[in-house]
Amino acid sequence: MAPEKIEALTSTRLKTDEMIINMGPQHPATHGVLRLLLTLDGEFVKHVEPVVGHLHRAQEWQGQNRTWFQYQALIDRVDYLSGMFTSWAMARAAEKVDGCQVPLRGEYMRVIVSEMNRITSHLLWLGTYGIDLGAMFGFPFYPFREREKLLDLLEAISGQRMMFNYIRIGGVQSEAPPGWFAKVSEFVKEFPDRVDEYEAILTNNPIFIKRTKGVGILKKQLALDYGVTGPSLRASGVPLDLRKTKPYSVYDRLKFEVPIHEGDGDTFDRYVLRVKEMRESNEILRQCLEQIPGGTADELRERRKACNSCGKADCSNCGGDLMIMAKKQNAGLRIKAGEGFDAIESPRGILGCYIISTGGDTAYRFKWRNPSFCNLAALPDLLIDHPIADIMAIFGSIDVILPDVDR
Amino acid sequence: MNPAVFEIGKFARLTVIWLSIIFGAVWAACWAVGVFAPALINASGMPTETASLASEVLRALVPVVAVAVFIPINAMFMVLCERRALALFTVRKGPNRVGPDGLLQTAADAVKLLFKEDITPHGADAVMFTAAPIIFFAPSIIGVLPLLAAASGNHELFRSVNLPTGIFYVLAIASIPVVGIVMGGWASNNKYSLVGALRSAAQAISYEIPLVLSIVAVCLMAGTLDVVKIADQQKDSLLSWNIFGGGALLPYVNLVVAGLQGNNEQVQAIMQHFQAQPLGPFAAVLMVVCCIIFFGIYITGACAEVNRIPFDLPEAESELVSGYNTEYSGIKFAIFFLAEFTNLFVVCSIASIMFLGGGHAPLPGLEQGFTEMLGGILKQLPGSKEIFSPGWLINSLVNPSTVSQAFWIILKTYSLVIFAILIRATLPRFRIDQLMAFGWKRLIPLSLILLIALTYLRELV
Repeated sequence: MAPEKIEALTSTRLKTDEMIINMGPQHPATHGVLRLLLTLDGEFVKHVEPVVGHLHRAQEWQGQNRTWFQYQALIDRVDYLSGMFTSWAMARAAEKVDGCQVPLRGEYMRVIVSEMNRITSHLLWLGTYGIDLGAMFGFPFYPFREREKLLDLLEAISGQRMMFNYIRIGGVQSEAPPGWFAKVSEFVKEFPDRVDEYEAILTNNPIFIKRTKGVGILKKQLALDYGVTGPSLRASGVPLDLRKTKPYSVYDRLKFEVPIHEGDGDTFDRYVLRVKEMRESNEILRQCLEQIPGGTADELRERRKACNSCGKADCSNCGGDLMIMAKKQNAGLRIKAGEGFDAIESPRGILGCYIISTGGDTAYRFKWRNPSFCNLAALPDLLIDHPIADIMAIFGSIDVILPDVDR
Repeated sequence: MNPAVFEIGKFARLTVIWLSIIFGAVWAACWAVGVFAPALINASGMPTETASLASEVLRALVPVVAVAVFIPINAMFMVLCERRALALFTVRKGPNRVGPDGLLQTAADAVKLLFKEDITPHGADAVMFTAAPIIFFAPSIIGVLPLLAAASGNHELFRSVNLPTGIFYVLAIASIPVVGIVMGGWASNNKYSLVGALRSAAQAISYEIPLVLSIVAVCLMAGTLDVVKIADQQKDSLLSWNIFGGGALLPYVNLVVAGLQGNNEQVQAIMQHFQAQPLGPFAAVLMVVCCIIFFGIYITGACAEVNRIPFDLPEAESELVSGYNTEYSGIKFAIFFLAEFTNLFVVCSIASIMFLGGGHAPLPGLEQGFTEMLGGILKQLPGSKEIFSPGWLINSLVNPSTVSQAFWIILKTYSLVIFAILIRATLPRFRIDQLMAFGWKRLIPLSLILLIALTYLRELV
């Protein structure tokens, strides 16, 4: 057949239409309620428009209409997989405005529970990422086994599995229950083996590598332009981790590495980076358990028998570094007038909180800088010209949590 | 006790109970229709012509009864088995609330599905939408009929469904279900369903070729398309199974055995045979390798054929919601579900008949010994000649050779089913382009090359 005839056949008679398809908000794999308006050419994505806001709960407005004490309990729900971090960001911003100093033991407790929370968050990501790639029934339950242990521990200390309300303005809510520290050290000891287990299933799995290598490459410049933070940014070669670059709390006393992947990262690099981060968090936990002033809660209780748990600030067993809370927690909690911003490194990236207080029992203005929202912005650029199957591989790999996007 | 061991024990107990229920029920139904009812008619004093005609009709109905009883309860068990096995592989408990040990879970699910509203979506093609699950399910019922003869060791009640071109018929029927999927996906008026259906069509076309080529290789070695004959050719021992070259290694093993026993005459005879075929040993080993690879290709193709992970792209949940059956609910969804598991069972039983020796034991003497033992016990029963006496009942119910064959084929088929579940618990899903590339660029050339190699090798052995 003559070339022009073939041309005529393929270009006119076999003309195909693009299909517009609505992925979500009720789609089993959008991690919540994201709506993606996809324009497909066959199996390939030609255009994407993420529609966010289905889970908008006016978190900032609620903060301005509730007392500080009430809002502390609510703020865990913003990012329900890493509640400790949202509480912590708000507590730090409020402490900055108020000028109160968190006692050292309180800071250590914050780091311990947050790093545990970071591990649970990454474990959940690992499990659901397996589901996104189609490992529907096998792999996802292994990370959940360890996550369950951590959640039990977090429940023991805070009273709740996911909405902890444990980190408060001025410190942490309560001392650990008996035997808690021993259980945490037990977990810290066995966890690296468990991570080896996950890696044995996934890292060298040919199908997993085929599905993830070279897929969804996030260029360094693109990531910086969109304000992507967290593991997704570090997998693209930018060593930005607030724990290291602008150490807060007691992170400057701890020895840990921030895993970086050199060059533009694909989904596989982001996976590897998160797995490494879990190992690092475990290492941080181990150091914290050694360094924490006063030792375990059980030892401290023994010491405090001498002074009958007097709770006085100048007592050598109860006060100073050994306190966990510097501000009285009651419904009339007030923050001094002023404004302040503070950011911390959450499992998803930089989580910032901006507060204006007029000195009353409610805030004048709240503003959140949520990592998921900025990370999601880069998604359309990553998806173009990928097949449908890769949408979930890429979307899962940037680890977005929808309530955190919509607030 | 170690909790894992405890759970495995529980799972094994559950499997044994369920399988006894299934096969007991199937055989009881077959016996009632094919043996008991004709005997009753003969004894009732009807005119001879009418009685023999009625018995003939009843006997002809037996395979249909067997399939009609077997498929629903077997699929129900497979769902439960899959859920429990997946739970075992993934550190969970699985369904253990409904009935003892969760034995009735799928029965409860089935009842739930039957009572659900049957929805036809707006804008759907109602006729096609209803026909799709039927077209998807029907072939799996029709397709198992010739396998019945092979699985029951050519039992007289099932002899009528054996075809001289049995495996050809089974494979032809097995490629029909994809039509049902495409119809369902198209008629649903849903874009996800459509994409799933088209994927399924592409996948079925690509993976049917290596699947059929691997079966062709077996037929080539066996020299027949008759499933009963293929199964019978593998009856000697493990080494005569088609996965191990269909007896290619037997003379060499015999040589070693004869050498060890010091039987010089036999050694001489076999050595003479070798002098005629100097390349024989080399060819035999190559042939075994080819056959094992063909078995792997068959399992891969079969997984793709029945849409199991890692080839479950037509219903990829994380991408296409539920693919072609997104819009189905109630009884229609139940039929899709039933058919999927039945198809899995069918491909596994084809594999065990074609590659793993059908109903024959892996070691020589095992089958014969069991048959003789059971036959001896049965003979000692009193009054075995008298009709309707307990002895007659037992003797007509229990056929030693069929029991042995049924045991081995169930064991082999369910081992393959559990292997498929293990794969499901381990692997992520392919992407559609990777799937196509793997099928067309790897599996098909590989199976063609192996087929040509096998054609020459069997001349040399």
